[in-house]
Amino acid sequence: MSAFPAASFAQLQVTGVVMDGSTGERIPGVSVLMVQDPTIGILGVATDIDGHFTLELPGGTGRLRFSYFGYKDLLVIVADSNATDMNVRLEVDVARLDEMVVTGIVTNVRRRNLANSVATISAKELMGTTSPQTFDGALSGKVIGATITSNSGAPGGGIAVKMRGVTTFYGNSQPLYVVDGVFMDNSAIVPGLNAVTDAQAGGNPVQDNMSNRIADLDPADIESVEVLKGATAAAIYGSRAAAGVVVITTKKGMGTGGTQVHVSQDIGFARAQRLLGVREWNAQRVEDTYGTSAVSLFNEAQAAGRITDYEKEVYGETALLLGTRVSARGGNERTQFYLGGGRLNEDGIVKHTGYKRYDVRANVRHQVNERVSLGFTSYFVNSDADRGLTNNDNTGVTYGISLAFTPSFIQLQPDGGNYPNNPFASSNVLQTRELVKNNELTYRTMNGLTLKALLQNSERSTTRLVGRGGFDFYSLRTRAYFPNALQFQSNGAGTNGASIQGRASNLSMNMYGALVNEYTFGANNLLTSSLGATYELGKLDHMRVTATQLIGTQTNVDQAGATSVTQDRQDFRNSGFLVQEELDLGGRYVINAGVRLDRSTLAGDITRYFAYPKASLAWNIARMPFWNNGAIEGLKLRAAYGQSGNLPPYYAKYTLFSSANTSGLPGSLIDVTRGNADIVPERQTELEGGIDLSYKGRFTAEVTVYNKVCYDLLLLARMPPSSGFTFEYVNGGELANRGVEIGLGAIPVTGEQLRWETKVAWWTNTSEVRKLSTPAFTPNGSFGNSLGTFFVEEGRSATQIVGVTGNVLEDGTPEIGVLGDAMPDFQMSFWNEVTIRRNLALRVFVHWKQGGDNINLTEFLTDLGGTSPDFDEDANGNGVADGIDRLSDAGAQHFVQDASYVRVRELGLYYTFPDKARGKVLKGMRVGVSLNNCFTFTKYKSYDPEVSNFGINGINTGVEVAPYPSSKRAFLHIAVDL
Amino acid sequence: MKRTRSIAGRGAYWGIAVIVITLLFATACKKYDDTNLNSPSLSGLLENATVAELNNLVTGTEAQLRANMGFYIDAVGIVGREHYRFSNSDPRYLTDLLGAGSTVLDPNGFYITNPWEARYRCIRNAYILIGSADNSAFVTQAERRGYHAFARTLIAYQLLLNLNLTDANGVRIDVADPDALGPLVPRAQALAAIMDLLDDARNDLVDPSTEFAFPLSAGFAGFDDPAGFLRFNRALAARVAVYREQWSAVPDLLAASFMDLNGDLHNGAYMSYSALTSDQLNDLFYPPNASGEVRLAHPSYAMDIEAGDDRINKAPLRNDTLTQADLSSDRDVAVYTSNIDPVPIITNEELVLIKAEADIQLMNTGDAISALDAIRTAHGVSPYAGGTTEQELLDELLKQRRYSLFFQGHRWIDLRRCGRLGELPIDRPDDNVWVRFPIPFAE
Repeated sequence: MSAFPAASFAQLQVTGVVMDGSTGERIPGVSVLMVQDPTIGILGVATDIDGHFTLELPGGTGRLRFSYFGYKDLLVIVADSNATDMNVRLEVDVARLDEMVVTGIVTNVRRRNLANSVATISAKELMGTTSPQTFDGALSGKVIGATITSNSGAPGGGIAVKMRGVTTFYGNSQPLYVVDGVFMDNSAIVPGLNAVTDAQAGGNPVQDNMSNRIADLDPADIESVEVLKGATAAAIYGSRAAAGVVVITTKKGMGTGGTQVHVSQDIGFARAQRLLGVREWNAQRVEDTYGTSAVSLFNEAQAAGRITDYEKEVYGETALLLGTRVSARGGNERTQFYLGGGRLNEDGIVKHTGYKRYDVRANVRHQVNERVSLGFTSYFVNSDADRGLTNNDNTGVTYGISLAFTPSFIQLQPDGGNYPNNPFASSNVLQTRELVKNNELTYRTMNGLTLKALLQNSERSTTRLVGRGGFDFYSLRTRAYFPNALQFQSNGAGTNGASIQGRASNLSMNMYGALVNEYTFGANNLLTSSLGATYELGKLDHMRVTATQLIGTQTNVDQAGATSVTQDRQDFRNSGFLVQEELDLGGRYVINAGVRLDRSTLAGDITRYFAYPKASLAWNIARMPFWNNGAIEGLKLRAAYGQSGNLPPYYAKYTLFSSANTSGLPGSLIDVTRGNADIVPERQTELEGGIDLSYKGRFTAEVTVYNKVCYDLLLLARMPPSSGFTFEYVNGGELANRGVEIGLGAIPVTGEQLRWETKVAWWTNTSEVRKLSTPAFTPNGSFGNSLGTFFVEEGRSATQIVGVTGNVLEDGTPEIGVLGDAMPDFQMSFWNEVTIRRNLALRVFVHWKQGGDNINLTEFLTDLGGTSPDFDEDANGNGVADGIDRLSDAGAQHFVQDASYVRVRELGLYYTFPDKARGKVLKGMRVGVSLNNCFTFTKYKSYDPEVSNFGINGINTGVEVAPYPSSKRAFLHIAVDL
Repeated sequence: MKRTRSIAGRGAYWGIAVIVITLLFATACKKYDDTNLNSPSLSGLLENATVAELNNLVTGTEAQLRANMGFYIDAVGIVGREHYRFSNSDPRYLTDLLGAGSTVLDPNGFYITNPWEARYRCIRNAYILIGSADNSAFVTQAERRGYHAFARTLIAYQLLLNLNLTDANGVRIDVADPDALGPLVPRAQALAAIMDLLDDARNDLVDPSTEFAFPLSAGFAGFDDPAGFLRFNRALAARVAVYREQWSAVPDLLAASFMDLNGDLHNGAYMSYSALTSDQLNDLFYPPNASGEVRLAHPSYAMDIEAGDDRINKAPLRNDTLTQADLSSDRDVAVYTSNIDPVPIITNEELVLIKAEADIQLMNTGDAISALDAIRTAHGVSPYAGGTTEQELLDELLKQRRYSLFFQGHRWIDLRRCGRLGELPIDRPDDNVWVRFPIPFAE
């Protein structure tokens, strides 16, 4: 090892071009590093858009390492003889053995030495095929081992991610997102629609269909995503890692080769993936459903030709999608930058809904001197989502619930500006669509700073200091407006108008610092030791005013006859220490062991440190001396163990008081849920083993099995009501998830004319509730046994769905039995890229989810309203209309429906103009067309088998109540490089 | 390649490293604050509450008296055949509570769990008030006695309401420690314990130095100082003595209460309501002639009332007759005229009736009749002219109680303690009259 000499005595100018070894396609963005540099790559550049690079080597000779995602590293010794016009050909590495993967907060390891399964998603896989609206949408189906479900089709995102099964019932169920070292908040801020919809009347949690805030990230900025699914990989993130960690790296600048400017424009259209249709009416059906008095309405409407398909009227819009991006990357040896800006303007498939996002990013890295470098990332985003009024309610006002009770012969069109009242439902859906506003507006900034310094450097030992920190701050405004002209807000109905406005500001800040020592011994052994400290804080302040009895058409909350105000503040601090040792014995054995010590103000005892240990071993059999099969380049056995935690929610440790006033006197009344001052974080223990194989760089296989046990689960235990409390927080459950993940990759054909790369993944997970210190319970978010409900019970799958079976027991009570399970039997994904003559690329991404049930209550509502499209069919041939059959079925079985699907999520065809077509100004140009979620094959009887009425809350994904229909999207893409 | 050079200024970098690491470790080891930002927390209030915080607990306890009173009055009023509750959302008002067919009262039913939980929540708040007052350094011993007396009186009242529901099934009396709840105590023992609580409070209230450092709502006007609150306390004690049939104790208790034979019968302690923030609306009020969710007077109310009795105004005729589940009535329950009308806890009218009942039992027939007449004349009915046997007088007393205390949750309890539940009318052939509610399942 050697240090980079401070003074240069001879300079060597190196130039060349880097291309794909088989197709000859030039590769931009290849990192070219001088190997002598022991520290942080002081001397390094990246290739430009044409694959060119220029570099000044201090000294007359040197070794350059060329590395690029998806290719094998290449080491070239450079001297005067070959320094100019180098022709560097990189070999594709489908197994990605050289890719760097995080193993600690500050350490990386090459994938060939990794002992865990870490899913990595490249920019090409994330956004290279089509343009999903939000980052969460772009991730769907692409993480092996995860179940990712979008909550609805409402503009602005909203998605639930479960890594390797359910990990909690009442704690945080979503992974931790880390963007360039900054922890990104993923809260879902409640807009308070419940004041009008009363959806929570039955004691259920929020059903306001809000987005979770990871949607604010512009996916086009992302270079790669690494997913740490369980505790084996995520232990070093400690008490916030139990639901997994998603490590996101954004694009960075390049050394030389001038500044590259990339401009792209997407133009697209979206339509509903599927509409259910409406019931065909005749006089007899009208009479049977609504009584004789309605028949004249029907006859009148039919005579006047006024039969309207209101579903199509509301959900049938064709939405225009526009996306524009400009980015630039460049720099010199000492300073590199990436600048990006984007504008997204997408309409929804319902009038007056849509999503807009404006964002800018600046990532700068500067080498202060040969020992110290600074990195700075900065992001600002403004997102604006009009999400419409959907999901469950108890007042009959959301689009879907209103439609379910609106037959097609009713006249809802406005007469002048006045909408007629809907005689069969409590709202006129056209009026609701026109007048109701439900908006989320976010201003958000994320900034991070990285300091790296070389402290010590000797023949065998190098010591670095890495410090990294940043903050994520957003200010969110929610605004829901229900004017008093609405059918359900006038003439004594509702509250004579409602204006519900919320303001949330959230700050997350985190920083860490670590000393990392690399010590070389023996022939080729490396010991990497890290010691660090971490600190995290979060502060949320959310205020919401619900103004009712509105004055005229005013929307300000003071222009009202009555207001109520709520405020929720949360504040937590975590801090901890980490120690990690990694021993690499000649690349043959890699042993990693570490521990993170964490304490938090969210735990009962704020001074107590919780320890999360981990250990792993990788054995590279193909590197052993006895191995002499050259074709099998990689054969690795690996085993890993780790623990991580999940902090209790802010409320769990305190017993609080509500305000209860009388005669204007302020009062404090004890809450019915008792806090627990001894509460500890939920803990997860994971054991994982696997085998990785790569054959001639053209075929790769990765098989992983895991056993993940979550214990000390946070539960709500019932208390005798004479204690004054009804529930108490306790740590008292144990839940196991077991699964298998298989990933295969291959390049069956490679050559200048045709190249085909394919990847197939298969994964499955089963869960079992091992222990409960409370009786079996229905988790938050349920409509009871008669409609089917999740039910957490010892010895059963955590996601089982139970309900009344329709049988009656001997004692006359209805039988309750298992009706289904939301957990898929397995999932598969297929990614294919076919490149023809280097210029034409076809990419297809298909996702198959087999099994996993939903509770479809949309059909229940249309049956109740008598408007189901198949109401009059008689599939079972019993002479009774199916709608009547379903309504008279005492069992809940027919609500629990198989939500299997095969979905062509992404399909893109791109043409890159050949070199000779490029001009002086235009360095490159690409055009393409793509389809997003355009083809879905499913037997599920509603808009989309991917749905969640309760959002990201807990385990109850897959309950459907009148959602915003999902859309399919088609795009034309044009991109130029300047 | 070998490393050959040492770099000047290495010490400076180590210096920076030491500073950075020290700062981080110092931050990581920093002491944190452990308080909740959104509301007072139990541990905080129990530690060293200020007078303002104690007074918040007083108000919170008082405010909670009102919680779920709609469910309570519906439960005892429907079982006691005072009124019907028609509801589109829940048929159980007309099935379970009226004992239709083979239905039984469900220990998980809302009609028992909701009021039961609300009463014990109020009791929990009162015990927290006692604990906080004991640990507070900001109050004097005299003020502490005031908090105690207030809390114990309300605890007794809340226990009494739950005992009214479960009667022979009993209630849990010893609930001071939520982690060590006492046993369910049978009725006689429970009533004795309730009386002890009231007497404990009285002992504090009669101490001339005792102070009330807290305000009470408008519903307690006249009862919001120790002397006034003592009169309220003794009024409740008189009701408990009647339930215990300790007739000879009643005159003294009434003397110490606010009973006034010639006074305003409406005088008394009330729960007040308002539309202000975090306050409650009177859930016993429904607008007249409503549909959907309605309370209707039992038809026997108008049938059994004497001509000219102004108490018919509590059940005015509707524009229409409503029918549900083979039950009909053409009269609304209209005891309250708005959703902020106060609801009585105990009034002079009840105390006069208690006096009459005790006089009957103590054979003071003349006094009993003059008390009954005070009620009758106040409602526009001629003085009592019926027989003067104990049985006849008790019949008259129960009738006056039925009309005077209509929709206040007394009739069922009165008939039960007199062994006269068989007198209640049965509307449908398969209906039953329940004697008591089951103990909630979660107990």
